[in-house]
Amino acid sequence: MSGVLVILEDRGGRISRLSWEAAAAARILGAQRGVTAAVVGAQTEALAAEACGQGFARVVRVEHALLAPYTADGFALALEQLIRAESPDYVVFPHSYQVRDYAPALACRFGQVLISDVVAIGEGPVFTRQLMQGRFNASYRHTASGPCFVSVQAGAFRAEPADLPAAAPESFAPALDAAQIRTRPGEPFRSSAQTVDLAAAQRIVSIGRGIREAANIPLVEELARALDAELAASRPICDSGWLPIERQVGSSGHTVSPRLYVAVGISGAIQHLVGMKGSQCIVAINKDPDAPIFEVADYGIAGDLFEVVPALIAAVKAGKA
Amino acid sequence: MVFPLPTLAEPQHFSLAERVLFAALAVASVALFWRRFGPILRNILRSKQDADFHLFPAGKRIRDFAGEVLLQGKVIRQRPLAGFAHALVFWAFCAFALVSLNHCAALYGLGFLNPAGAVGRFYFYFAAVFALGCAVGIAGLFIRRFFVRPKWLGEELSWESGLIALLIFVLMASYLGAFFVPAASPAARILWWTHAITLLAFLPVIPQTKHLHLIFSPFTVFLSRGSFSRIPPLVGDEDFGLVAGRDLTRIVSLQAYSCVECGRCTEHCPANNTGKLLNPKEIVLGLRGYLNELGPASEVPLLGKHIAQQAAFQCTTCGACEFQCPVGIEHVPIIVGLRRGAVNTGAWDDEHGAKLFLALERGSNALGLGAAERDKFIEKNALPIFDGTQEYCLWLGCMGSHDPRGREIVLALVRVMHYLGTSFGVLRKERCTGDAVRRLGNDLLFQQLAEANLEALAQNKVTKMLSICPHCVRTIQEDWKEYGAPPAIEHHSEFLARHLAQLPRGGNQEQIVFHDPCYLGRYRGVYDEPRAVASRAGLLVEAPRHRERSFCCGAGGGLAFLGEEQGERVSHARAAELAATGAETVAAACPFCNSMFRDALAARGEGAPQLLDIAQLAARGLPEQGN
Amino acid sequence: MKIIVAIKQVPERDAPVRIDPAGTWIEESSLQFALNESDAYALEEALQLKEKHGGEVAVVSAGPERVGSTIREALAKGADRAVHILCDDLHSRDALGVARLLAAAIKPEQPDLVLSGLQSEDLGLGQTGVIVAELLGLPHATLILNVEKTETGVKVKRELEEGWFQSVELPLPAALSIQSGGNKLRYATLMGIKRAKTKEVRILTAAELGADSAPVVRMERIALPTKQKSTQMLDGSPKEAAAALLEKLKFEARVL
Ligand SMILES: Cc1cc2nc3c(=O)[nH]c(=O)nc-3n(C[C@H](O)[C@H](O)[C@H](O)COP(=O)(O)OP(=O)(O)OC[C@H]3O[C@@H](n4cnc5c(N)ncnc54)[C@H](O)[C@@H]3O)c2cc1C
Ligand code: SF4
Ligand code: SF4
Repeated sequence: MSGVLVILEDRGGRISRLSWEAAAAARILGAQRGVTAAVVGAQTEALAAEACGQGFARVVRVEHALLAPYTADGFALALEQLIRAESPDYVVFPHSYQVRDYAPALACRFGQVLISDVVAIGEGPVFTRQLMQGRFNASYRHTASGPCFVSVQAGAFRAEPADLPAAAPESFAPALDAAQIRTRPGEPFRSSAQTVDLAAAQRIVSIGRGIREAANIPLVEELARALDAELAASRPICDSGWLPIERQVGSSGHTVSPRLYVAVGISGAIQHLVGMKGSQCIVAINKDPDAPIFEVADYGIAGDLFEVVPALIAAVKAGKA
Repeated sequence: MVFPLPTLAEPQHFSLAERVLFAALAVASVALFWRRFGPILRNILRSKQDADFHLFPAGKRIRDFAGEVLLQGKVIRQRPLAGFAHALVFWAFCAFALVSLNHCAALYGLGFLNPAGAVGRFYFYFAAVFALGCAVGIAGLFIRRFFVRPKWLGEELSWESGLIALLIFVLMASYLGAFFVPAASPAARILWWTHAITLLAFLPVIPQTKHLHLIFSPFTVFLSRGSFSRIPPLVGDEDFGLVAGRDLTRIVSLQAYSCVECGRCTEHCPANNTGKLLNPKEIVLGLRGYLNELGPASEVPLLGKHIAQQAAFQCTTCGACEFQCPVGIEHVPIIVGLRRGAVNTGAWDDEHGAKLFLALERGSNALGLGAAERDKFIEKNALPIFDGTQEYCLWLGCMGSHDPRGREIVLALVRVMHYLGTSFGVLRKERCTGDAVRRLGNDLLFQQLAEANLEALAQNKVTKMLSICPHCVRTIQEDWKEYGAPPAIEHHSEFLARHLAQLPRGGNQEQIVFHDPCYLGRYRGVYDEPRAVASRAGLLVEAPRHRERSFCCGAGGGLAFLGEEQGERVSHARAAELAATGAETVAAACPFCNSMFRDALAARGEGAPQLLDIAQLAARGLPEQGN
Repeated sequence: MKIIVAIKQVPERDAPVRIDPAGTWIEESSLQFALNESDAYALEEALQLKEKHGGEVAVVSAGPERVGSTIREALAKGADRAVHILCDDLHSRDALGVARLLAAAIKPEQPDLVLSGLQSEDLGLGQTGVIVAELLGLPHATLILNVEKTETGVKVKRELEEGWFQSVELPLPAALSIQSGGNKLRYATLMGIKRAKTKEVRILTAAELGADSAPVVRMERIALPTKQKSTQMLDGSPKEAAAALLEKLKFEARVL
């Protein structure tokens, strides 16, 4: 074959969202030749079923008992065999933690280099990826013969769910031997959920003196729950004992870098900023349009939190329903 | 003479037995003195040489000696009543030097002051006046120590102080008494012997007690480091600061033995006053205890049994202690030296400290924020870039670059400069001056920062600099000298004061209290300039502690970066004091003070005074500019 | 345990980086450089393992002469010796090209563990460590926060997505890519720098290592991203603003 192979990833029994984004990228590369999707694991029936009907030319079930749980050795071996058999022009991956773990080694077996974390694909094809932590874009080209390995960044390509007639999945049984798998993975676990771990939180809703009194905290707490976020605060809130010191963000509290940080009624003093500047996306709600917090925010709402927060809770809940 | 004045009674004849007895007692006294004093002197002399010590120019040394030792300036200024009592005792001691010598010489018929002769008569009266003063002084000090008991003298009553007071009192009384008895009477002999024995008893007591300062403090004052809070350079490959006894220098050891335990340093220490472990007096006494126990060659770490590491890292380097100390002890170089010892060897393990160091190692600024934010600020406000043609290089510093309030201060100053037509530019990239890491004792980082900055400034041909931050000013001007020749720099208060006449008067009746930043006042001696600026904008009022005695905001010495403090926050204590003046406005002249007080005043809730930098006060009267 | 840590020197985080006139790389002349962050964690992990179990930590770094300062920093923090692979064309090599250099230098050392940082702050390729493992034929694991020695090898804590973790056991020798944040880093000290002066730094060249290869991917141009970060104020009634915000979070920032 020559064409595009996309590797879809299992996330809790379903295909991950990022995989669909990788599939969208694969379609750009394989507009003419069609895209083959592969699902990998010990039990791939359900995954394959999910993939069928999404407009892939073919869906391949790479199945072997030794492919669960995930190991870099197992995946690299299995996919090496698949790629040798299929000899695609492009192999596209979601840039997930799992892919980071095995895809560079897999590419290496073909004398290739993974073009990782791609954010755009242009004519040529030219692959764009970010340098210097997003400060620059760089364009890359595959200059050798043989399969070109590409992984795509989360959020860079828009997954378009399709509902097309299902093609029957094919099976591919790699030859694996237990002795080839050198690592022994354990069960996934979460770090003790009891203690607040702001540093590891993905989303944080943080309150400041704008909340005025302790009795108003439940309002923002509800927003945090709706957004599945941890509650945090500026120092005056913790000083007053309204929230425990473990929830303080800033120079004398925690340094956090969640994907989403919502600052509610926080002015943005430097000691607070240094604790949350690394957040990926910052939202500020403050009634003072000149509050310094807006300088660092990605999105700002200049308004009274007692009006904005209830509206936001309602909107989030409406979105979920 | 109508009414003959009494003369000092001096026994006419001494027996051989008396002479032998006195000689024996004198030998015993000196031996006892030396048994204790000898090892102390040896500890000092065996300490490491101070590599950077220069006796000359001696002008300042002589001035300091005259003012602080002879005139007892510091002693009196800080505690007028007790200080004056002490001065009386000191002056009496000076006057008594001849009297005591004569007293002993007379025993062997070698007396040189004749009580009947004109010179002797005059001198004995002269000394008597001092003796009287001294007796009153010592009685006053005794009452204060044993009955009034100010808290900085410590919880425990010092019996040795009582003994000393008694000895001094007896000396004076036995001297004065001799004016009222006939020379030939047995009373004269008794008084003579009382005086002589007291004198001999006094000598061995000196090195046993804090009265060692009688001997050492004149030297300590004379042999100081030469300027306030001067941090000495490290010398050679094995010098990491004050790690162990072997690192103590002669100056440090001399100072350790000079402390009179008066507690002035502790009384003014912001850390100690807000419930922290640090007590500057105990740092000095800790060194003394270490030297007595382990000596100056020991490898045992200084931070440990005698001095707590935690205490050393609670110091804001405000310098209040050093400034107050009547015997010339220089606490800040000692405390910074102890920190150097801990940090340069990696013994200090602190989450926030490590974060600060690592951020700077990785080329970030002390706040850990990116240069891009600074660029945005410069661009948004169209600050000119320094290109060598402008008069001033305006140094923003981390607070001026990143802190929302610090930026406001910079912009106010910029408005003034535009109004005055002063040309200036900012650097495209600044590195941290290294103030915090310098005071925290990280010499590796400090050197890297100072050298990189000096190089960049030289490349940009900067000759005159201006900064809103007293910490930047001090570090650039003084501390960088170790690694090159920094350009001249001044603080914006100095610049503004110089141009005040050209600025419109923004004055009104608003009461303004000015807070002296430690690094502007005590460190740089600039007190009047910011006041001139503030008083043009309103009515200046003073906080109880101001100028040289200003109380720290709590940010210095790197503490602004070290997270939560133990005990009460220094900033809250000072903000309360400033607010209590009733002023409507607190004027600051340092972005760190500003940041500390903004927070502390906000915590006081409604009705707290507003907080402005002097640049903002100066800019207040300017006509609004169109954009 | 003999541990090799592969470290990289990268432009300082705060450096004002500009694109060179050809548009193919950044202007290096006025830059300051520092140790890559996750490499610092790899080094820290290695040093802690040595402190617990004894052995030796050596660092290996490829790059031009300026890399020497970063190597010295690693020695100052406690590494015992270093190998400097002198090469001036680092950024024009692809990940495989760099990994070949490193593997060639590491192989004769026969280490028990090869550690590297997860990814570099400049290129952000995030694969050099894995490729080195592959070239050396070692089992590997990535995103490692913590390493414990066991009877038979090592047991590592691996980060998974969304707050999950996993332990993985590997036999030795093995290679690990270390994620930032697993340990507390130590700061460099004056004493460390002075002691580092006497430590061995072996200099190798790419030619000596015989690990040259034509790149299979090429970076052609670098450019500024078109959209710079700026604050978007959302106006309207609270309800409208809330709805607009949610939309943005879902579809623009993609954080929901
Ligand atoms: C050494 C030091 C260390 C510090 N460490 C920390 C730290 O770790 N973390 C920290 O957070 N701070 C720290 N601070 C304190 C910091 O300086 C600020 O004082 C603090 O962050 C201010 O908190 P805030 O923004 O909640 O309060 P404020 O500054 O009072 O801001 C309240 C904001 O709420 C807005 N608001 C009021 N009412 C409403 C409403 N109805 N709707 C919407 N908005 C409203 C106001 O416009 C204002 O902007 C430290 C200070 C110092 C000096
Ligand atoms: S410098 Fe200030 S904080 Fe430090 S010990 Fe002296 S008085 Fe206390
Ligand atoms: S150090 Fe100075 S101020 Fe402090 S107790 Fe001793 S003599 Fe007094």
